[in-house]
Amino acid sequence: MFQKLRQRLRDMRTLKDLCLGAEQHANAEGQQMAGAEHFILAALDLPDGTARRAFERIGADPRQFRAAIARQYGEALSSIGLGSLQQDPEPVPSHTGVYHTKASAQTLMQQLAARGRTHPGEPLFGAHVVAVAAGAQQGVAARALRAMGIESAALAGAAQAEIASAIKR
Amino acid sequence: MLDRRSLPSPDDPEQALAAVVALRLLADQLERKAVAEAIDQGWSWSQVADALGVSKQAAHKRLAALIQPNQREE
Repeated sequence: MFQKLRQRLRDMRTLKDLCLGAEQHANAEGQQMAGAEHFILAALDLPDGTARRAFERIGADPRQFRAAIARQYGEALSSIGLGSLQQDPEPVPSHTGVYHTKASAQTLMQQLAARGRTHPGEPLFGAHVVAVAAGAQQGVAARALRAMGIESAALAGAAQAEIASAIKR
Repeated sequence: MLDRRSLPSPDDPEQALAAVVALRLLADQLERKAVAEAIDQGWSWSQVADALGVSKQAAHKRLAALIQPNQREE
């Protein structure tokens, strides 16, 4: 029982780090609310390293994900004959008050919670965020992964493998 | 105005919707810069709101926190 409580506290800390990290990444890009893509960036920052290793398992460089987010915006604007977004957007101050996210992040959190119910006792790893986010077919995160040439099913599989490996340790 | 010929084909809604999302982000960036500059030049929040076509309350509530603290006051 004590072990379960300790794991629960660790998971709560991981979740807090993900939420704050995602918001910081969004704010740094000049956005007030975090989307699923910012949660992937936050997952890549987690000390467990599982999100980063999920990318590396399929030969992708996780450090390129941020640039891929910018690239998919640039490609989208180019498709209608416009230039790209501001290269270094003015960061926005962090929001005080109730935590708000974009719909894509809300969906991701709901799917993480659902996974927690179907896999009780399984610790929360950064790779969980990647596994869930890789399941989305549309949206900024999905487009950024495609911009990196990543096949989402392959990334989801790699994330599952990292979760299994982390549990065994 | 955007030339209709430059719009993505209706056969490619993925690209068109991606452009919509990017345009919204671009509009937000432009709005923040323009409002910060306007306030810096001495515009009132009423004037900013009129230029944006929204109420003064809506403009201040949405934008004041996004620009530098010394620019938020009227």
